[in-house]
Amino acid sequence: MQLTGMLYGAKLLKMVDFPTSEILGPEASEHEIKALIAKCGEVFVKPIFRGGIGKKGKAGLLGRAADLKTALKEKERLYFVEHRHGNVVAKSQGVTFEGAVPAEHEVYVSIADSTRYRAPTLTITHHGGMDIEELPKDQIVEVPFDPLTGLKSFVITNALSDLKAPREIISPLAQNLPKLWDLFHHNGMTTLELNPIRMSQTRPGSLTPIACDFKCGFDRDDPRVRRLNLPNELFAVDYSDFEQEINQLRTYQGQSDVGVINANGTILAPTFGGGANSLVTEFLGDDAIISSDFGGNPPYEKMRQVMRICLKHWLKQTNVLFVIGGKANNTDIFVTFRAMADALREYFSERGPTPVYVVIGRGGPNLSRGLLAFKDVVDSLGLPYRIFAYDSAMTDVVRYAQAADRWMKAGGRQMLAEKLGVAA
Amino acid sequence: MLANEKFKYFVGINSLAEIATCKDRVCVLNILGNESRGVTPVSHAYSGGNVVFGTSPGRGGEVLETAAGPVPVYNNVREGLDAGHKFNVGVVYLPPAAVRDGVFELIRVNRDIEKVVVLTEKVSVHDAREIRALAQQRSVDLFGANCLGVADAWNHIRIGGALGGDKPEESLRRGSVAIYSNSGNFTTTMATYLTAGGWGTTTSISSGKDLYIHFAPAEFAHAFDNDARSKAAVMYIEPGGYYEQDLEFRKPVIACVVGRWKAKLTRAVGHAGAIAGSGDGAEAKEKWFQRILKVKGIYSPENPIVSQAGAVVTNIAHIPAALTAVMKLNGVEPDFPPEGDLTLKPWFGDNQGLPMPPELDLPLVEPFQPYKDQIAELTRQVGAVFPRESMKDRSGSSIMDPKTQVTRVSGVSILDTAKYPLASNYMLALIHEINDDNDHALFNCSVTVDVNLHGDPAIMAADAAREAGNAPNTVLAAACAVIGPRRVAGACQAAGVLIDLFGHSGLQSGDQADFDFSAIKADAAQLACLVGSTADPRAQAMLHGVEARGARSVFVDYLRSLDGHPSADAVRAAITTSICWSALMRKKISRITARNLPWYLRLAATIIGASVPGAQHKADSFCGVPTRELVSQSSATEIAYLALLGEKPTPENLFPFRVLLGLIISNGVGTISAQGCKGAVSADGPESPERVQINKAMIGFLTHTGFAHGGNGFEGIQFLIEQFTDSDLKDAGDPKHGLDLAGMGSRFALAFAAEKKARKGVGEGVRAIPGINHPVFKGQLVNKDPREVYLSHLFKERGETNVFHDFYSALVQALYDNGVTANVFCVNIDAVIAALLLKLLWPRYRSGAFSEEALETAAFTAFLFGRMVGCAGEIDDHLNRGRNMDTRTPASQCSHVS
Repeated sequence: MQLTGMLYGAKLLKMVDFPTSEILGPEASEHEIKALIAKCGEVFVKPIFRGGIGKKGKAGLLGRAADLKTALKEKERLYFVEHRHGNVVAKSQGVTFEGAVPAEHEVYVSIADSTRYRAPTLTITHHGGMDIEELPKDQIVEVPFDPLTGLKSFVITNALSDLKAPREIISPLAQNLPKLWDLFHHNGMTTLELNPIRMSQTRPGSLTPIACDFKCGFDRDDPRVRRLNLPNELFAVDYSDFEQEINQLRTYQGQSDVGVINANGTILAPTFGGGANSLVTEFLGDDAIISSDFGGNPPYEKMRQVMRICLKHWLKQTNVLFVIGGKANNTDIFVTFRAMADALREYFSERGPTPVYVVIGRGGPNLSRGLLAFKDVVDSLGLPYRIFAYDSAMTDVVRYAQAADRWMKAGGRQMLAEKLGVAA
Repeated sequence: MLANEKFKYFVGINSLAEIATCKDRVCVLNILGNESRGVTPVSHAYSGGNVVFGTSPGRGGEVLETAAGPVPVYNNVREGLDAGHKFNVGVVYLPPAAVRDGVFELIRVNRDIEKVVVLTEKVSVHDAREIRALAQQRSVDLFGANCLGVADAWNHIRIGGALGGDKPEESLRRGSVAIYSNSGNFTTTMATYLTAGGWGTTTSISSGKDLYIHFAPAEFAHAFDNDARSKAAVMYIEPGGYYEQDLEFRKPVIACVVGRWKAKLTRAVGHAGAIAGSGDGAEAKEKWFQRILKVKGIYSPENPIVSQAGAVVTNIAHIPAALTAVMKLNGVEPDFPPEGDLTLKPWFGDNQGLPMPPELDLPLVEPFQPYKDQIAELTRQVGAVFPRESMKDRSGSSIMDPKTQVTRVSGVSILDTAKYPLASNYMLALIHEINDDNDHALFNCSVTVDVNLHGDPAIMAADAAREAGNAPNTVLAAACAVIGPRRVAGACQAAGVLIDLFGHSGLQSGDQADFDFSAIKADAAQLACLVGSTADPRAQAMLHGVEARGARSVFVDYLRSLDGHPSADAVRAAITTSICWSALMRKKISRITARNLPWYLRLAATIIGASVPGAQHKADSFCGVPTRELVSQSSATEIAYLALLGEKPTPENLFPFRVLLGLIISNGVGTISAQGCKGAVSADGPESPERVQINKAMIGFLTHTGFAHGGNGFEGIQFLIEQFTDSDLKDAGDPKHGLDLAGMGSRFALAFAAEKKARKGVGEGVRAIPGINHPVFKGQLVNKDPREVYLSHLFKERGETNVFHDFYSALVQALYDNGVTANVFCVNIDAVIAALLLKLLWPRYRSGAFSEEALETAAFTAFLFGRMVGCAGEIDDHLNRGRNMDTRTPASQCSHVS
């Protein structure tokens, strides 16, 4: 759950009275754009990407205009522009017009929880406006601080003294940066980054830090995020229909985390436990349709619901239904297996049979009853299967599932379909 | 204050031996919560009773029962301390939003606190930050969150979570290897895998994998170094965080780093902290460990790269072999001989007759103990066992599709049940399968005998109720009240005996030919349930029926083979057990259902029988038809027809009657009748299924029907009578009826329009025309109720005419043509039912044999015959799956109306 750009950034910063550049959204009229150019001298035209995606400036996705004609041309160029960074591809949904801020200095500031210090940590440099990863170590400082007292002015002044920052920026930053802690800590953020903050002489003789770009990450397990009343669709772009359906079942009891790995995959693997999830998904690679963690002892009804959604979306294309987990500690195998098997039976009775090879590997409380419950259902559905208990290496079970998938692709699916009296 | 100089922050634990010790005393927050309730008793017993108390606000005074004695519960930590308890370890099972406050309570209220273990998943980063800061301030060691706690195989102590599951001693074998794992499940799984290499464990730590890992790898490395028992460590590590970057070890370590694929993801799945930023992905971590452990690559069996310092693996199955290889370089032998191996061992499997390549066609392997015995025992269990849950407003028996309004019972649409006879539908509702011909024959033998209530108090009760002016539902309820548990105990018991005797005989189907039952040996008590010393006329009648119809039943044959005379109860049981045997063996139904089937059949027979006054029940005949003839020839549908219309049906008449009954078996779980029978089951307590009175549940259904629900079918009949009363219609099935239906429709439409106008003028509401329009099927230019369309086709295909049905079709068109309705309304399912029934009753009504009152009774009774089927399904479903009193509505959802 990430938010980038000043369109919402400015709104959030205003909540804590942190000064921001002037900004117009995609709906701005020509008259408004013209007025902004007149006021600020020039405007930056930036595409709006949902979620987090970096390095836009480097990709030439930043327009700059000192007159309306150029501003509109840049708007046309960037309005629906596509941007690829690493594995992430994003499509712009409009542009913002941001008034230029004249400045002597550019400052980079971020607050995030650092795993090195296991505390919220301020990262700051007055060599801002560039890739901070490229800065030499002595030009940037990381300062962990106590979350019970928060980010205090002295933390900032100490850090800037260590950096030997110009005298004139210290006091305005010490006055304004502590406001960011309120925004960060009380609204469920995990990261907050302003780059650059431009130190602008808004009054003669004194500098004001003006945030000119904004990036933050939210903790999806923190209900405080709801305080901000941000529209859901800002984050919805991250989720497929399937994931959204499963997400509605997210409660603290029982994980129901999923991600779609390959929408054209052929192995449907409801996986139990974060560890099994990592291992199994790694070994299955692109054969897997989803990556999931359904552990945490989900109750029967929730598990059945989760499985129903999985089957509804994917069973038709599935060659191998692969139920896999390690030796469970507290997940009741009978409850979870019964729920999954019932969902499978329901699917067959509602939508008719579909050719699928069932592979199961699991251990844990109530194992015998759980395995037998699943066995009874696959027997009655007439599906080929192998059920392994936890004395078989999980990775070998994964390989078995892959072998079953290959066999299904090489004619097995056709044979099974004929036996079930349905089309392959 | 820092406990040791090695760290810039507080770390109190200096050795793994200090993590879970025999001296630790534990307080569990939210001890009565769902997860703790299952886990804490096992931990407590495994650890020799180390939990001193737990908290659960508002539930102080209760106890958590465990094998090591009850654990007291207080409202809060202070109360527990005031009661004299002391503890140094807190375990937190609170929901995520309450975790921070819980940890603060433990730290602030109890001066002795040293360690806190947080099990909860999805704790917000905000709270994790504050928890860490306070624990640091107050010198407390934290574990978790999102972890499964810690365990020590040497001390036999488990604190917090469920490491080792419900049998910790099985996985946590004493040995020389310490485990540190980002995954709770893999902590146990790795411990299990290690035994295959001959390695046991010392301390196992499930660290959790949130953003904040409170007991991090650096603390583990320090404590591992100082633990003389631990000769090596196994670490399971996922991407995200710099916790492992600068670790130092002085003893061998096997690091299993998993999660390269996660680089493709933009968000975490499962472990909230297992998402890499820049430079802390799986690949980076593999490199860190390669540097730390002085190896040049990843270990695999093909390329076993190890050093004295350890090995890096990416597959947990490789851990035991890698560990053994590393320890060999250090001159250390395994703790015990390897136990088992990790090769593929399928416990169950089936190729379903398909040719499989050898790599898939793995032979099955016998499970090891204790699973072998458990599985053998469970396999002996006959029938399904359903998990119990609240069944209020829910049903596993029926479901209505809100789009089509078509209900399905046991997965079969009522449009299809309309094609099946009563016997089929009744068994479909109860055993979820359609009868075959043999099942029909058996079913009908039982019902046709029991429908005759001559001399039975049930018919006397029904007659008395009838005399008192009750509607048919109340009359039938009076009869059902007499068919109580004692009346059917013999038959249900006999069914139980047959299940016991044949449950493991290999018999797959009740009609299996040439089944050899010579090995079935009943003891004296069992025999007493099946046979008596004198012949029972009802038993003989049923047996005669079975023979006359050529029906096959292994159980009837078995009864015949016994010395003595089979009792009527035993024959009833043999019949029902034969019908349900295959479903029972395939675990489609429970043993409870199979045992109760004779009761259900008896009730069906009673409801049909008691709809006819006692005078029609003679010693050797029913409604004037000799019992012998009924038993050997008639079907339940024919008997129902006979009871309702007083004559034997012709095949032409039977078909629409069958359709009618099949069509109304259910309208979903929301109907009042379904709610009535479910409430009756719920009130008896389905968790003690043997105490549920099925006859009372049937009464619940019957009393939850009435003139508005079930009796309202008559409105349609009345409407049709009004329209046809002046005609000279003799046979509603005659295509040459000579009536101008379009003209009749138009006349009615015009009259209705005038009436509508007049009523509107004086501000009165317009009366609805029964049988047309529907809240779902409306708004189109021409509207159709799909159920009516389906049935129209069905009758058309058979070349059958129903003038009443045709009139309805003409009427909706006429209403539109004459501007009364804005579009062509649909003819709804109620119209079809009224038309069907009136067609059957018309000749008798016209001849004066049936009064309007008799018509109303017949219409209502027909509804009860049909709905009895669906309600039997609901009763059995609720009985098998519901909880005690689960249909009640919480007071908070009830409101007062002044």
